Amino acid sequence: MSERMSWVPEGVDTGKPSAARLYDYLLGGGHNFAADRMLAEKFLQAQPNARTIARLNRAFLRRAVLFMMDNGIRQFLDLGSGIPTVGNVHEIAQKADPEAHVVYVDFEEVAVAHSELILEQDPRATIIQEDMTKPDAVLKAAGESGLLDFTQPVGLLTVGVFHFVPPQADPQSIVAAYRDAVPAGSYLAFSQFTQDLQPEEMAGVVEVMKKSQNPMFPRTKTEIEGLFHGFELVEPGIVPSPLWHPEGTNTDDPDKAGIYAAVGRKA
Amino acid sequence: MELPELAARWMNALTATAYIPLSHAEIEQVLLDSLVELPESPESVANRLVSLHATGPDSLRATIEVLSPTFELPLLARLSSAYAQAMRMDAFDQQEQIKVAIVRAKQRVERTLKVSQARFREVFESAALGIVITDLGGRCVEANDTLAEIVGLESGADLNDRDLTDFYHPDDLAALGAQYRKVREGHLPRFRDQRKLIRADGEPVWVYLAVSLLRDADGEPTHHVTMVEDISELHLLQRSLDHQLLHDSLTGLSNRQHFVTQVERRAANDPITLYHLGLDAFSVVNNGLGHETGDKLLKIVAARLGKLAGEKKAVLARIGGDEFAMMTVSDNVTTTIEEIQEVLGEPTFVDDHGIALSASIGVVDRPPVFATTAELMRCANAALRQAKARGKRQWALHDPHDDARRRGRYALAASMPGAWEHGELEIVYAPVHDLETREVLGAVARLHWDDLSHNDTMALADSTGLSLPIGRWLLREACAQAARWVQEFGDRAPTLHIALGALQSRDEDLVADVKRALDETGLPPERLRISLDISSVLAGDDNAVVLHDSGIVTALDGFHGGHDELAVLTEVQVRSVITRAPAPSPDSPLYQAMRDLIATVHSFGVRFGVDEVHTLEDAEYWRSAGADAVIGLLPALSADEVTELLTAASQPPEAS
Repeated sequence: MSERMSWVPEGVDTGKPSAARLYDYLLGGGHNFAADRMLAEKFLQAQPNARTIARLNRAFLRRAVLFMMDNGIRQFLDLGSGIPTVGNVHEIAQKADPEAHVVYVDFEEVAVAHSELILEQDPRATIIQEDMTKPDAVLKAAGESGLLDFTQPVGLLTVGVFHFVPPQADPQSIVAAYRDAVPAGSYLAFSQFTQDLQPEEMAGVVEVMKKSQNPMFPRTKTEIEGLFHGFELVEPGIVPSPLWHPEGTNTDDPDKAGIYAAVGRKA
Repeated sequence: MELPELAARWMNALTATAYIPLSHAEIEQVLLDSLVELPESPESVANRLVSLHATGPDSLRATIEVLSPTFELPLLARLSSAYAQAMRMDAFDQQEQIKVAIVRAKQRVERTLKVSQARFREVFESAALGIVITDLGGRCVEANDTLAEIVGLESGADLNDRDLTDFYHPDDLAALGAQYRKVREGHLPRFRDQRKLIRADGEPVWVYLAVSLLRDADGEPTHHVTMVEDISELHLLQRSLDHQLLHDSLTGLSNRQHFVTQVERRAANDPITLYHLGLDAFSVVNNGLGHETGDKLLKIVAARLGKLAGEKKAVLARIGGDEFAMMTVSDNVTTTIEEIQEVLGEPTFVDDHGIALSASIGVVDRPPVFATTAELMRCANAALRQAKARGKRQWALHDPHDDARRRGRYALAASMPGAWEHGELEIVYAPVHDLETREVLGAVARLHWDDLSHNDTMALADSTGLSLPIGRWLLREACAQAARWVQEFGDRAPTLHIALGALQSRDEDLVADVKRALDETGLPPERLRISLDISSVLAGDDNAVVLHDSGIVTALDGFHGGHDELAVLTEVQVRSVITRAPAPSPDSPLYQAMRDLIATVHSFGVRFGVDEVHTLEDAEYWRSAGADAVIGLLPALSADEVTELLTAASQPPEAS
């Protein structure tokens, strides 16, 4: 057929901004488009500290991965990994131990295609295209990838992702499903936006993102505690991202970090 | 300032402007190396900064601020210029990378799309189903050739931009419109329906429709998909099959099955009257004038009754060879009967034969509402049998009380052949006791079935025509058993008594049957006593005489002591008579009469036996009145039980 029929669903659309590419832009990456940068500018108007927030969140990811490596974790399931950008999990983990395995999960076509490019030469890391809010499908595909051994502790990573999961998707049962799939001694690293810090700016961000493909749902500390059901929180618990196991003396203002971070261990 | 201190300050400034995925110590080491290298090659330092990802919007400014007091401006200018160039190249690299990713993603999506479109195309074009995609206004966007064929157009393209509703039957428009709306509004995922479409040439075509909804990427409804299956041929075939299933092929009237469903429907709402007609003497027509004439006559009868039924708004059916059924909403029964006889009685000329017919009619009038249709049909049939029993041109109204009685007997009679076939009929042996010696004289072979006595069973067998085969079977089986006893126990084996039913007693093959039974089983003739129903002798049948002449001892069963019976005893030589009567108590005025009767029988040289004597007291009365033997003092036993008794009796008695 020469002409696409009007009722056939659309494929990749670069005209619509994506949260993954917005994050890349805020981190100083170049894997983004005009639409993403326009949304980023609005985001920055609502939350001028957005670049720092992104940087701190990315730094938390690095520290969390290294913390897990220190505690013996050698395989990671990165849920909602997004566009590969500076300091990817497999780079951090494999620098510490080249044998570490990483399975990335994302649903967005461009993020997946990009990840495949990056990971082409790495037999110990892969990307699967699934919706991380559907644990059954993710766990099935992750199992089929052959990279994860679910009899050994797994490092679960949901970093800067759960603020895209709406309450009606039942985030608690999503986390529970992943928790139930991994053995005791596994870890969960978690970070997401909160209205506990800079509530005014947060409300602005929610407003900006409301009409995008990726509306945001900040959560309070108590709500986040609920998601860690079945995990023991590692000290210092749920804290603004720069305060979680800071490297040296922290110089960033925790009140402007925008994001809570925490790591839990499955008992 | 010492270089290590400068490196530490530079690190702190840089990490606040960009995320560098290294530990602070590592970053500091890289920066220290860079400071050493800077005077020689600011370009390689710039490249290292960019590859470290020290590329935040403020990263260069922070670097210049930290380094400017220590290094000369021209060197810093070279660094800045090289940094900008490295950033450009890095941005190009990243853009290149993301572009490749996009192309790949697009290709993948398009490939998937292409495959699914190709699959869809194939399904769409080769389907035996008509498929049409319509916009929400009902206009055809795309239709396949199969649909075009169904609605009588050349190709699917001919349907483009036409309203699908143009092809709906006007009567269906509202209902179908509502169904489509329900699908569109999400109340139904899809609907299926059997409808009539109107072809381009105006001809109707029966179809199955299956309708579902298409949505766009945002989930908004955009189109309907309608699948159309042409079931016209199927439909016509179905209708013709239905007609054949429900109608009599000769007369075109409804058949029994169709009639029953119509009665069911009508009886639920109205009081009805059911007429079951049986043509009188129709077999005479069929046998005398031939089946062809019979068929013609049946068609004429059907037409006449059909006309009458039409006038009376009655339902008519042919429900048997020469039987018809008519149902009216309750009316005057006698008037309707007269009308029926009138249309039948009008002489008819078939193949030059003038024939006037009449019918016997069974009527069920205003049955109770809870009666099932099957019951109604059976009641009407029973009433018809009654009417027929009274003669021609008679009718009978169904009587529910009479019916219950007949039904019990009919049901039993009807089940007898099956019971016999399945071996449910059993032969049992009742002892005959000598009243004087109190010894067992022999055993009477009797039928036993379903709590019925021997005589009831035989009477029932007579009414079904089974009594002869059953009687022969009884004769043969009992003889075989008696022969086995004789073989095993010699003189102590019981003498076999067989009481024949009325029909068998008169059967002209009886003597031959008895002789054959004796020959085949090897039972000595003196070991057998045949008792004939006394009615056969009274009717002049000579079986008793011939049997006697053949050396077989006979008795007459059913003796009442009448004059004609006594007269027979003087003519026919029999060993005994058997009677059934209340035991004559010595106090009773009948006692002397019975003594005299028995004495008279004895005077003819005939013994006197009594059946159905169940108590010792009664036996004693009979003994004192002069009777010789009784049956019934002990319950009848199965053949095996008799064998057991005989075996036990033949053991030497234990010492006591």
